[in-house]
Amino acid sequence: MPSNAHSLIGLNPDACTSCMICVRECPVWCIDLASHTHEVTEEGARRPKVVHVLDEFTIDFGACMYCGICVDVCPFDALAWSNETDQSAHSASGLVHGIDQLVKWFPASGS
Amino acid sequence: MTSARHYSVPGVPGLAVGVLDLGLACCSMEIGAAITAGLLVPADNTPSEAAVLLVSGTVTDAMAPAVLAAWNALPEPRRAVSFGACANTGGPYWDAPTVLKGIDQVIPIEVYVPGCPPRPEALIAGLAELVIR
Repeated sequence: MPSNAHSLIGLNPDACTSCMICVRECPVWCIDLASHTHEVTEEGARRPKVVHVLDEFTIDFGACMYCGICVDVCPFDALAWSNETDQSAHSASGLVHGIDQLVKWFPASGS
Repeated sequence: MTSARHYSVPGVPGLAVGVLDLGLACCSMEIGAAITAGLLVPADNTPSEAAVLLVSGTVTDAMAPAVLAAWNALPEPRRAVSFGACANTGGPYWDAPTVLKGIDQVIPIEVYVPGCPPRPEALIAGLAELVIR
């Protein structure tokens, strides 16, 4: 396969801020994201700030077009092309991958 | 089915049977790419000798009975492969009222090959999954 062939997409959950840009920009809406807010009080701060905590992030590769728009629009480089090639599954739900699997596909050096 | 053709798969020795290609949309172009690359070799089998139904492309409600008829015409043991996002889940058209949310709503699918379209290599890997199983 050529090295520039589109393949799987990996996620770095530590970089993800649950901003939902990838979810909204995905042409096929194959990304599912769930998060909750968490109040953080920093020392010396005038008021507590609210941060988003990522709970779930799934990509349905059964619908994914591998267009890479999510990779392009992510402001925090939390999504990146993986070196792994896509693989077929024995059920449609077997193509839906969550954080646990997407982390493994995030390239070590970033995209 | 004017688009129905039969192939052998040299890269998958255990898969000696023919592949009946049901190309319904642009994914079927990748079948042509696989032939050009020598991954699929057109064979002269009659339709009854095909045991693998390869469904690629968007399946509309109007087309679904034709797919089902092609499936029912295959002799046992028969197996079906879903090739591409449209056949897997409806793909970019999953929200359209006239498009099936995956061909597995109509026929039993053994292997789902992801991609829009999947590469020819992914097709061969998917067919190899049939043999491993």
